[in-house]
Amino acid sequence: MGLRIRLSKQTLAVLDALLGRAGQWQHGYSLSQSTGIPSGTLYPILMRLEKLHWLETRWEEAKTRGRPPRHLYRLSGTAREWAREEIRAAQERRFWKPAEHEA
Amino acid sequence: MSMSTQENSVTARLARWALGCAVRHWPEETRPWGLALAAEIDETASAFETVRWSLGGIMFFLRSVLWSGWRWMKLPAGGSLSGGPEGPSMLPKRSRAFTAAVLAAAASLLALPEGREAIRTVLASWQEYNWQDYRQSDSDARTLERLATRAGKEKDASTLAFVALSTTDPKRAVELVEHAVALDPGLIWLYSASSHRPNYAPPREEWLARLQAADPDNAVPYLLAADELDPLRICPLYQHGILKDAEFELVESDSKWMGLMERGFGAPRYDSYVQKHYRLTRTVWNRDKNLSPKIVLYGLWYHAIPSLLNLRFFGRVKIHEAQKARAAGDLSRAESLLGEVDAFGTRMADGNGDKIEKLIGMAISRSADKELADFYSSRGNAEEARRAALRVEQIDERARSMRPGHDSATRSQAQAFQWEGILVQGFGILGVIAGFAALAGMLLLELWPARIRNAKTIWRRALCWIADYAPATLLVASAAFLMSFLPFQHAFTEYRSSSYVLANQERLMEALGDLHGIPDYVMGVNAHVLIWAFVTIALTALLLFVLVNGIFRARHAPSKPA
Repeated sequence: MGLRIRLSKQTLAVLDALLGRAGQWQHGYSLSQSTGIPSGTLYPILMRLEKLHWLETRWEEAKTRGRPPRHLYRLSGTAREWAREEIRAAQERRFWKPAEHEA
Repeated sequence: MSMSTQENSVTARLARWALGCAVRHWPEETRPWGLALAAEIDETASAFETVRWSLGGIMFFLRSVLWSGWRWMKLPAGGSLSGGPEGPSMLPKRSRAFTAAVLAAAASLLALPEGREAIRTVLASWQEYNWQDYRQSDSDARTLERLATRAGKEKDASTLAFVALSTTDPKRAVELVEHAVALDPGLIWLYSASSHRPNYAPPREEWLARLQAADPDNAVPYLLAADELDPLRICPLYQHGILKDAEFELVESDSKWMGLMERGFGAPRYDSYVQKHYRLTRTVWNRDKNLSPKIVLYGLWYHAIPSLLNLRFFGRVKIHEAQKARAAGDLSRAESLLGEVDAFGTRMADGNGDKIEKLIGMAISRSADKELADFYSSRGNAEEARRAALRVEQIDERARSMRPGHDSATRSQAQAFQWEGILVQGFGILGVIAGFAALAGMLLLELWPARIRNAKTIWRRALCWIADYAPATLLVASAAFLMSFLPFQHAFTEYRSSSYVLANQERLMEALGDLHGIPDYVMGVNAHVLIWAFVTIALTALLLFVLVNGIFRARHAPSKPA
């Protein structure tokens, strides 16, 4: 924690989506749907956030037989504050603004 | 989320299969992320979404592979060796990326046109070449055969002629000469240029008769035909140095030989077709620059010229005849005979021959002029005697200027070639050793890390040292090899581009001689001596090391408590 990184617009969108349901576990597909970010961009972002300890992950038990377990994500407690700060700073700089339906 | 009814469409199934393949080959470090991405594919709402998700996954897979590859490259060779007793300190110091960059730099240097020519030339100099048996190496023979096959298909007469003069296969040479002359009658001079070899028996008489008909004013076909009668006839006569009257008479009694030599001496032109052969060689080499200089110049080394011994001898026969006429009082015949010899020598010296032919022509002319000077002074014709003596002086001066190393510039160039030849061969050998060492070191570290981990410290350290320094040595050796080859490359380029072939030919032969001299020396009669000397020195050094080590240990061994 505490590592400051240069956040891209896509990363800010992911952080925003995760903050939208703070504390709740979310699936990768639903994050992709809510942010409009394709899987090839989303997963490297999630991987990076996890490496920075901003993201908590866990494997969900398979609900249907024959289906693989799904991965779940949520922002860690302290990361939520950092994320809010980053989003606010980005909005002030007019670097990024949330999508209309999210706003 | 419900699954789409289209989830089983061919496109969607193909996309799932592709993502499944990617997950199976996903790099270990990021595999959980690949599995996480793949697990979501069942949630996609349409075939389009499935394909989109799968494509994104494949992009992520490619990124992961690249990232993992870069991480692997940043580690030193044998990066999985960390379990050894000395830990990571026993790994090579340089990363795989650094080593790959150094090896790539060395490869690029050697892949330059100059580098490729250097490799071809030096490799050719390392191949065993049996000059005595006129036998080429198998690879040279294959190269020439490929050229001949291609030229046959393309009806390329000049390449066929080149191969005919360069191959050491006698039967093939005859076939190719006939084929080339049939395609281009202007190449009829090939009948003369194919040299005498112990295992080579072309239909010379028939060929030379055709050439005499095609080029009747040229002395060379007659002189070669005379050589064919008995090429070794003259040698025994020269063994005791001074010729006797009986020996002159013996040769003079051979009317056929005398007749042919007479026609040769009387012909208005002397052309042994060496210049045509040079031009042919240059044309083919320019067309196919990948040929090694050894192949290219082989034919020139064996270009047939009339027997110089026979020419000298016939000159002496004529002078002897003039002396006899002079003694018999037939002065005009004596003068005419000497004039004929002088004129032939001058034609030979000024004709389209090789340097040695010019020198012999000058020597023949000089003998006649010397005799003429004596002839005129005995007759009191001081003016003609002075002219003949002046011609002798001029010939001497010209001969001096043609001798190898007659001036300091030529001498220093010859010495420079010698030194550069040693450097090229030395750096070539160093490059080969460094290349093999680098390859062996890297392969051992990468392919058998477990064995290396359990190996003795000294072996492991040696391997790491080789993996660190052999690629750098290869790069330095390649650069030095290329630099030291540049003068030779310059000589080759000059030969290929210049029309002043005679001087360049000599320079090129000298250069190649110096380049080939070292392997010929090492692999020749001295090879056994060198190998045994090396083995003896190595064993002596080992013995000394063992002795000194034993003495040192005995002196420094801790004394046992009583």
